[in-house]
Amino acid sequence: MEVIDVIISGMINGSVYALMAVGLTLVYGVSKVFNFAYGSFYSLGGYLAFSILSFKIFGGYVTVLVLAVPALLLFGYVVERAIVAPLRRWSSWEVKVMMLTLGLALLMDNLFQITYGARVKSLPVIVEGSLTVGPVIVSWQDIAIFVLSVSGMFAFRWVLNNTWVGLAVQAVAQNPNGAQIVGIPRDKIFAATFAISTVMVGLGGILLSQKYFVSPNQGWDILVKAWVITAFGGMGSIRGSLYAAFIMGMLEAFVGWMFGLTWVQFALFGVLLATLAIRPQGLMGKWG
Amino acid sequence: MDGKRRILIMAVVFGLVALLPIFFGGSKVIMHILIMCLIWSVVASCWDLIMGFAGIFSFGQVAFFVIGAYASAIFSLRLGVPPIISTFLAGAVAAAVGVLVALPCLRLKGAYVALVTFAVHMILAPFLKSNMGRAIGTGGAQGLLTIPPISLFGYTFQNAEPIPFFYLTLVVAVICSLIIILVIMSHWGTAFLTLKDSEDFARALGVSALRYKLMVFALTSFLTGMIGGFYGHYVGMLSTRMLGIDLFVTLMIMLVIGGVGQYPGAVLGAFFTVTINEMLAPVGSYRPLILGAMVLILVLALPDGVVGLIRSLFNLGGRGARAGGRMK
Repeated sequence: MEVIDVIISGMINGSVYALMAVGLTLVYGVSKVFNFAYGSFYSLGGYLAFSILSFKIFGGYVTVLVLAVPALLLFGYVVERAIVAPLRRWSSWEVKVMMLTLGLALLMDNLFQITYGARVKSLPVIVEGSLTVGPVIVSWQDIAIFVLSVSGMFAFRWVLNNTWVGLAVQAVAQNPNGAQIVGIPRDKIFAATFAISTVMVGLGGILLSQKYFVSPNQGWDILVKAWVITAFGGMGSIRGSLYAAFIMGMLEAFVGWMFGLTWVQFALFGVLLATLAIRPQGLMGKWG
Repeated sequence: MDGKRRILIMAVVFGLVALLPIFFGGSKVIMHILIMCLIWSVVASCWDLIMGFAGIFSFGQVAFFVIGAYASAIFSLRLGVPPIISTFLAGAVAAAVGVLVALPCLRLKGAYVALVTFAVHMILAPFLKSNMGRAIGTGGAQGLLTIPPISLFGYTFQNAEPIPFFYLTLVVAVICSLIIILVIMSHWGTAFLTLKDSEDFARALGVSALRYKLMVFALTSFLTGMIGGFYGHYVGMLSTRMLGIDLFVTLMIMLVIGGVGQYPGAVLGAFFTVTINEMLAPVGSYRPLILGAMVLILVLALPDGVVGLIRSLFNLGGRGARAGGRMK
């Protein structure tokens, strides 16, 4: 029953990719920021979990989530306010933001390397053991990752639809100037969006690092994956990213299973080119 | 800044550089740095042409450089093409790849172009290392060694003899710079300025965005690939380590220092950055850290680069100053 294992693996990776791609598309949709350091934020999540767990404190991953989510939120907010926001008043600031975040990524990756060393670090699993249903064996860890990332998505949906910040984010996404006119602090919302996306990708880092370890330069792979998913789903479309993430998770699992892991990157690239050639706005995106 | 002033600045810069071997000719290290400065000045100028003037957010500049380097090395190693011809073939290969990449993404908005070109960069290293890459002679993970040096009229430019190679590089760099200046001064330059300021208006005037952008993509990837091939024959070995993110950021620093769309700025930025980069060699593993921090500081402190800073200090006018200046 290897096929079922592949499908399960695709579902689990897809759920985490969904979390990360939605964060990315949110930032781009709201503030037009192309964040090259997104992959390094992923590593940051992994290293945060590693550091917190290395103290062997009470609570394990519960403590990690309690500590890491506010830390990531704060980190994202400060990064946006301190280094991205000042660029907005310059012309062609988009390209300057790209350059800046590329520099930030290099800086962060090397800080990780100096602090934690170049060798990969492994995180303990959330729960041990596995569940056997007939011929299929699923580890509880995989189930936990899936449940956590899906609840992360629901939490995000709740924030977006039921809190003042979430509604303000939607307003700014629809019309930044209009939002400002009705008294929404646009710049703070840009920063809040960035902070939320940092939490989402950082959570992705915490969840996936148990399966794939933590290393200083791993983020680039995640950056490209998240961007490809976002482009495939449609830039700025949250629902599109969600579907695209699961499709890409499946595609990745099947290509890796049938042709080997090297082909996964080529397959992702092929999907990207095909999407842009046939339907440039992505699955559910719209221009603008 | 008009074309004449650009040519004047370039003539002064290259004239001064041409005199440097008189003072430093004895030091192989300094000559090597100068050759690297010239090579990277071409790459940075091409990037400035495509990003600063044409307004295309191409992040595949290092990828085209590496494609050119590998192509030229493979032509000369496998097919026995003389290096002086294979560098041009490498340019053609890079240009072909450039057009292939440009075709799907030029109809798209800025960030998508950055995504696709950066994806090309990210996928190049796995490709060169894979079995497919090995089949066309990239040497896999080990890379290529023993790339033959360039010979011209029976003279072989060995990298142990830096002074002749330096002047060869200077000639190539001057030719490339002239081409770039001519493009900026020609109606291409005007078309790009119009396209960047208002694409709809430019289209209404009958300026074909796609055609001009494809041509500039082809031209810059040709020049970049050619100078990449040139680089390969100079250093004699290649590996996929060049595709690491630190080289990419180093190239970006050249543009950040020089200022995007402030043309001779990129050349000055390249000289600056290569020299600083070589001076940072003793700090070893901290070098990328310092480079990353430099980007943050420079982008925040000098949004128009050193050239923009100098210009605003002396309040020199010209359209370039406004193109990169503060909004509203």
